[in-house]
Amino acid sequence: MLQAYKQAPWRTQVQWVGIFLLVVVAVATIAGLYLYISGRSAATGRRIQNLESELASLQRQNNDLETQLGEIQSERSLAERIKSMKMRPLTPEEALYLEVPGYVPAEGPSLAPPPAAKEENTPVLLPEFTDTFLEWLSSKLRSGIQNPTPTSEVQP
Amino acid sequence: MSEKIKNRFLIICVICSAVAAIIGIQMIRIQSTKAAQQLLDASVNYQGESRVIYPDRGNIYDSKGRLLAGNETSYEVALDLNSVTQPETIASIAASVLGLDYTQVLDYAQTPPGNGNPYYQVLDDFVSQDKIIELETIKADYNSRTAKGNQILPDIDGLVWTAHSQRTYPEGTLASNILGFYSYLDRTGGEGYFGLEEAYNSQLAGTPQEVYFVYDPQRLTTVEEVPPGVTLVLTLDREIQAMTEKQLDEAIEWSGAEGGTIIVYNPEDGAVISMATTPRLDPNKYWEYSDLFPNPAPYNAAISKTYEPGSVFKVLTVAAALDSGLVDPDTHFQDTGAFNIGGSTIYNWNMGAWGDVDMTECLQYSLNVCMSWLSTEMGADTFYTYLKNFGLDRKTGIDLAGENNWPMKLPGDNLWYEVDLATNSFGQGISVTPIQMAMAIGSVANDGRMMAPHLVKAMIIDGKQYDVDPVVVGTPIKAETAQTLTGMLVNSLENEASSALVEGYTVAGKTGTGEIATPLGYSSSETNTSFVGWGPAEDPKFLVYIWLEKPSISIWGSEVAAPVFSELVSKLVVLMDIPPDSVRLAGGNLVTGK
Repeated sequence: MLQAYKQAPWRTQVQWVGIFLLVVVAVATIAGLYLYISGRSAATGRRIQNLESELASLQRQNNDLETQLGEIQSERSLAERIKSMKMRPLTPEEALYLEVPGYVPAEGPSLAPPPAAKEENTPVLLPEFTDTFLEWLSSKLRSGIQNPTPTSEVQP
Repeated sequence: MSEKIKNRFLIICVICSAVAAIIGIQMIRIQSTKAAQQLLDASVNYQGESRVIYPDRGNIYDSKGRLLAGNETSYEVALDLNSVTQPETIASIAASVLGLDYTQVLDYAQTPPGNGNPYYQVLDDFVSQDKIIELETIKADYNSRTAKGNQILPDIDGLVWTAHSQRTYPEGTLASNILGFYSYLDRTGGEGYFGLEEAYNSQLAGTPQEVYFVYDPQRLTTVEEVPPGVTLVLTLDREIQAMTEKQLDEAIEWSGAEGGTIIVYNPEDGAVISMATTPRLDPNKYWEYSDLFPNPAPYNAAISKTYEPGSVFKVLTVAAALDSGLVDPDTHFQDTGAFNIGGSTIYNWNMGAWGDVDMTECLQYSLNVCMSWLSTEMGADTFYTYLKNFGLDRKTGIDLAGENNWPMKLPGDNLWYEVDLATNSFGQGISVTPIQMAMAIGSVANDGRMMAPHLVKAMIIDGKQYDVDPVVVGTPIKAETAQTLTGMLVNSLENEASSALVEGYTVAGKTGTGEIATPLGYSSSETNTSFVGWGPAEDPKFLVYIWLEKPSISIWGSEVAAPVFSELVSKLVVLMDIPPDSVRLAGGNLVTGK
């Protein structure tokens, strides 16, 4: 009886080989995925580092350009240019005043918006980089429930 | 399979398992030793670095948005000694481009790093961008060359440069007495000194933040953005400031004065439009401070230097007399040329007796005897209460560092004598700063409301502009008193045909000549000459306060300071777009054509 139900030795060996190969494929798949994800993550991280460095450089350039502009438009530079163009300051007698009904003189320039204008902060790291798969799935489901897709055509 | 082979396999398995177990145990043991923990701790240093990020110092702009103080990039040049391959080439380039000492750079570059020697050696700091471009060009040229055979190509590997921010003042000395300076050569402990740089140091500097930078790009981290320091927008107008400084310099040269101060102030809101003093430092070269300002010279005399102002003070005495109801413009006074008080006798400036005069003439002829009579008739309590209400017993609180004041002597104080009641009425025996006088007399030009002098019009914080509201300090006199007194001062200038008059514009004003106290008493040969004036009289847009110290051309304010006022205001009205009376009083809204 035992002999009748016992599998042939080659079958057992094939099963073991199959299980082993399955484990190898699974491990290789996980390793491949891990490599892919970590590769992407590293590339993105490097890009962020580069962008941060570029941002600092651009801020410095911005400061430099503003200072250069300040020097070009400085009172001393303008006075020299005015002198070279053979111009001179206006005297009160030479000033011409025109009456413009309803004219409201312009106020000084505003260098920044007033505090009332509130901006929405955008996070630097998008949720795609921080959410887990389950979090992403649940957020999609929630948004799907809150904003169901219209099933019938909306008539104008 | 025979039993013997099975046993052999079993033995091999046991041995392998034992070896694996030993290796595993050993791995765990190694990782849990003290040395392993130390190694782990040390590895933290190689995972990233903690850096303190200093935000860019906030800019300073004038009222029209023109840059007065900003930042530019400069560089630190150093040796990364681990990367140096050709010390001679580096020394040669550093000497030719940066002007450094060849031998010293060579010495640094040849020093092997480690064993107590540095790995990083700073060669020069605050190197300009032009020099760095020159170095980059040389480096690119060396890197582009191709070696032929065993030829050794030059390189400057190991010579490194790092960018950082440097405070800069594009206008040089312009308004430097207001701006102060920032000690930018001290990169970690720099401080603002004097003026706005000191008064707003913490706001301009922002908040330095310690940030941890991870080297591993897989560890995604967001570096918190460090906001820049607060940007200041001033009430100051650069064009008017430049004109005021030019006028002051010319006045000092013409009059032979030792120094001077001019303040242009808006009495309606307390905004300082310009403030010129001497001497002026270029804040880009702030290390020259001690040469230019030997102790105890104040950095900004307009707010720090007290003096006895003389007859400009009579504006306040008459304001108090009118406001208290003691006199009105038509009240007459019999001037006998002398006034006795506390055992002393007060005389007029020319020792003369002017006979029957009204209050306008008291101002017009600047009569000390008349003023002494007014203050004594008012009584010490009333007179000094008014002076306190005019803010002369305290600092104005202007938003500049280094403001000073001289304590006001009051009845009951050890140093107060009865005669002080008389001398104080014409601006002697009492010391004030020009900004105190501008603020106090500003109330006469502003219907009795006294405004706090200030220079900051708005602040930009995190990209939002917050405007600074004007502050009413008090109402020392009634609006009617202020208007009456302004009218009296307009008449007194016109009756006198003063050299302070400005063609086409009605202005109110008063001259001042203050004798200077010396250890031997008051000197009549050395004086402080002053003038205070405002206009247009019916709706003042500016108040100008002038003080010229010890002029040699004349001792009188009417001959020295008054013409300076006239010349300055004739330029000021053009820069401020104020049409003449003939156009302005005709009504309507006006556009200035230039």
